[in-house]
Amino acid sequence: MIITTILVLVSLLALSCLLWSAKTHALASNALANPAEHIRAVDIEAFRNLVDPDEEEFLRNHLPPGEFRKIQRERLRAAVDYVSCVAQNAAILVRVADAGRRSPDPATAEAAEKLVENALRLRLYAFHAIVRLYLGMIFPASRISPARIAESYEQMTRLVVMLGCLQYPTRGISAAL
Amino acid sequence: MTLLRSVWYCLWVAPHILMGVVVFVMVRRRLDRQFPMFFLYAAFEILQFLVLFSVSQALGFVGTYERLYSVGLALSTAIRFGVILELFTHFSRRYPALDGATRFLFRSATIVLLLLAVGLAVSAPGTGTSFLLNATYISDRTVSVLQSGLLISLFLFSRYFSLSWRSHAFGIALGLGIFASVELASSAVRLHLKVFGNTLVNLLTMATYSCCALIWLFYLMADEEQHERPSLGPPTLPPKYNLDIWNQELQRLLQR
Repeated sequence: MIITTILVLVSLLALSCLLWSAKTHALASNALANPAEHIRAVDIEAFRNLVDPDEEEFLRNHLPPGEFRKIQRERLRAAVDYVSCVAQNAAILVRVADAGRRSPDPATAEAAEKLVENALRLRLYAFHAIVRLYLGMIFPASRISPARIAESYEQMTRLVVMLGCLQYPTRGISAAL
Repeated sequence: MTLLRSVWYCLWVAPHILMGVVVFVMVRRRLDRQFPMFFLYAAFEILQFLVLFSVSQALGFVGTYERLYSVGLALSTAIRFGVILELFTHFSRRYPALDGATRFLFRSATIVLLLLAVGLAVSAPGTGTSFLLNATYISDRTVSVLQSGLLISLFLFSRYFSLSWRSHAFGIALGLGIFASVELASSAVRLHLKVFGNTLVNLLTMATYSCCALIWLFYLMADEEQHERPSLGPPTLPPKYNLDIWNQELQRLLQR
């Protein structure tokens, strides 16, 4: 009887999850109204510094083990915040570029397609990186280096600029470059 | 005929009429080519209903009906798996970058859920008197765990990656997910019931199926563009100053 109760509760949870998905699907177009408002600035250099293996090695050699573990945990916690922020930006860009994929202009559609691919790849890396960073927090002595995130993010930002240029050639983007 | 019996017949017949409309709409809008497994599922459900209804009128709800019901349920379940695979493939095709991740999710979720469902089947075998029906309900519960789990994984996956569902695929997944979730609860409850087809549970499942048929019909009849995210035309653009700030930020980032 306990198993039956658990299954009924699980099915109710699944049902709520599906109804919530239906609601968010219906509201998805409203959420896109102003995507720039949701994008958060990311200091990529600060992130690189946090996951830099040389920096880590330096701290490891110059600090007592207890102090190093404490500082390393703090550094990794900050790195998780950065990666989460980057992942959130990537998710927003997926949605923005997804709409651009249907553009009648082939160049815009192609740039949007590339941006979607890069943003999705980045989101995938971010998921792996967060897991690795948390593992690093549990075992601060191990070496963690999710540097691919920073490279991927840079590649993605270049594509955002390119897509922006293709979609709004007269809207000051080229002037900003 | 009592009121309850009338309601029961209405809930049995109505969703299959709706499924007939679903099949018609799919053929008319050429969606049968986009979602062949779902088309097969809808057509099979109608065929199964016609056979079961005829048998029930001629021979009653025991013996042949029970056997046909069990065989039909097994076939319908297999086709539903095909529909779920079709939905996973929908994302692989639409987002090639996630092809590997989609396949990994499908395989790993299937293995984990299968182990869980088999564990449940072994630990809680049920108390029904009919061996065939007991086996059918256990299989039904096992499959419901798998199907609702796979569909929830798919919804969470698309949510995490912020993927855009095509309206038709979303409707199919939503209806199937709701049906699988209710089936999970009802198949678990049925195993503790002594009589075939506890009326309340059957009515609940049939009402849910009617709702799902309506959901499928609604989404398949809806214009794809209405539910798609709007393209980045001028009305949905971020304001100019926001874009400039964002571009300045990116430029600064790229020059570092």
